[in-house]
Amino acid sequence: MKSFTSVFIAHYKQFIRDRAALFFTFIFPIIFILIFGWAFRDPGSRTFDIGLVDQGSPQSASFIAKALDSVVIKGDKTFKVTTGEMDKQLKLLRNGDLDAVIIIPKEMDNSPQLKQPVDLQVYYDPSQISNQQELIPILNQVVDEIDRRIQGTVRLIGMEEHSIQSHDLRYIDYLVPGILGMSLMFTGVFGGLTTIQQRQAHIIKRLGCTPLRRSMLVFGELLFRMILVILTAALIIFVGRIAFNVQMIGNWGSLCGIVILGTLVFATLGYLIAAFVKTEESAQPIINVIIFPMMFLSGTFFEVKHMPGFIEPVVKVLPLTYLNDALRQIMVDGSPLHSMPINIVVMMVWAVVCLAVTIRFFRWD
Amino acid sequence: MTAMSVRPEAIIEVSDLFKAYGNIKAVNGVSLDVAKGEVFGMLGPNGAGKTTTVEIIEGLRTPDSGTVRVLGMDVSKDVRAIKEHLGIQPQNAALFPTLNVQEIVNFFSSLYQKSIPSSEVIEMVSLQESRKVLFKNLSGGQQQRLSVALAFVNDPDIVFLDEPTTGLDPQARRVMWEVIKTYRRTGKTIFLTTHYMEEAERLCDRVAIMDHGQIIVMDSPQRMIEEHIKESAIQFKMTNYPSQEALTNLTGVTKVVKEEDEIILYTDNIPSTISELLTLASARSSELSDLFIRQATLEDVFLKLTGKRIRD
Repeated sequence: MKSFTSVFIAHYKQFIRDRAALFFTFIFPIIFILIFGWAFRDPGSRTFDIGLVDQGSPQSASFIAKALDSVVIKGDKTFKVTTGEMDKQLKLLRNGDLDAVIIIPKEMDNSPQLKQPVDLQVYYDPSQISNQQELIPILNQVVDEIDRRIQGTVRLIGMEEHSIQSHDLRYIDYLVPGILGMSLMFTGVFGGLTTIQQRQAHIIKRLGCTPLRRSMLVFGELLFRMILVILTAALIIFVGRIAFNVQMIGNWGSLCGIVILGTLVFATLGYLIAAFVKTEESAQPIINVIIFPMMFLSGTFFEVKHMPGFIEPVVKVLPLTYLNDALRQIMVDGSPLHSMPINIVVMMVWAVVCLAVTIRFFRWD
Repeated sequence: MTAMSVRPEAIIEVSDLFKAYGNIKAVNGVSLDVAKGEVFGMLGPNGAGKTTTVEIIEGLRTPDSGTVRVLGMDVSKDVRAIKEHLGIQPQNAALFPTLNVQEIVNFFSSLYQKSIPSSEVIEMVSLQESRKVLFKNLSGGQQQRLSVALAFVNDPDIVFLDEPTTGLDPQARRVMWEVIKTYRRTGKTIFLTTHYMEEAERLCDRVAIMDHGQIIVMDSPQRMIEEHIKESAIQFKMTNYPSQEALTNLTGVTKVVKEEDEIILYTDNIPSTISELLTLASARSSELSDLFIRQATLEDVFLKLTGKRIRD
């Protein structure tokens, strides 16, 4: 027990004196959360500036302006309408002062008599994502509505909206569990690197000259990593909470369980790497090749959809996919552990396989 | 058992040790005994199998065959119990780079059931001033001294030192010799490997010379010299080198060794050999330099038995 405590303390002291390790463990994930959280913050309901150009009678223009003005989303008016000359309006659009220009053609005045549709001309910049996703669909609805009123057709089916309080999933809510999963992966796998360094520097051999059991060496290191990841998890959740009001809805015990299981998976993966890689110089790139693709393929930052067919099976076996998903289920949905048996089984299989291969091939000298 | 009882109690007993790596027979039939209280030295050039032999005795490697008993226990069975009573300084001095001297000593002390105070360990190798210095910031010599000191933290019955003074300056080397001598006075046993002949001659009660995985001779340094080299050595450098035969034919010369530009004549008749050498040199207009006459040393024994110098 005395030697176990010593191993633990030695790991702790070395860790707090290693600036790179401190940075990657604590600062790096926080930076990710702050940058991504800020860049993809919820814009709320926004107002679109619309320029009207009336080539017909003022009635048509005021009719359409009124219709646009009446559109309200989340209590705010969606459109701010100004009327003006075509050249001037298009210039404002090009400068970015307007989001769209709507031109009302002359034929509009006598459209009811024409018995054929008259098209409003809408100019906008499709490279603005919000135009594509929000402005045009809303405008389409508005035009449909106007069209119906003019034709006087009686609506047969209506729709009334009822809102139900649910967890309004923002990007940051999706991101924070992903960052936590990523951190667990880093902390776990880098344990293997420590082992490679100590073996390469003959420190492990030196310890072999003493009665210290190698199991104590491994358990001391593992326990240190466990405590490290629990601190990291607490820090990440805390920052998510104060900076972006990200709630941790699930059970803290379940979260702890998944955090520990995840750390075991990646710590054994680290030892597996140490079983086959002898030098620190070759270990660094190999670890990068393993963890960086995994970080992106496992839905750390974005949901992985529409992957080419051959990548999908890869995504389906990566342990981080299941860790990230389990963390999200707990933190975002508040799911209990028994609702995620596949996640738990896949991670356990990974840990057991890595451990078995490590025991078979690992060498202490 | 009766035959053994002539010598004091054997604390290390090694018999018929073999260890091969592929085709290389690193240890090729080594047997030796070390008595309690003895300073035992193992000499040999690099690659002779010293370190492999020592590491098998320490229980760090397993032999292909042969038995090792240390403190009366079988190393293949009781290795952890044995390590409790051994102090081992392996050849490579590396330790945790970001722990300081004090922390490293405390760490190693905590691994044993019994240990001596860390301040004593640190004072032993004069590192008091550096106790708060991180290992990576110590000089090479300081690192080496700490590494040796760690072999003493558990007040061991046997200390194994593998090349303990390599990388030390002459003054630090003498300090280390004092450490070994002081320890020896407490009646503890020391097993030393070295390639410094002077170190072996000064410190060791008995020396084994190893080459190609075998012990070629084992005795006290004094007896080893007396037995193998009855002659004295004349050592010099010479321009316009005559044939080896011409030197062998000088009166009294028993053996001629030429190592690069250095020539050693072993002779049982110093006056005749010297005067004939001077005559030979002036006849050939050879210039003699760095000439001196000395008693034979372990180095000469080694040279005679292996045909090469020990220095690497």
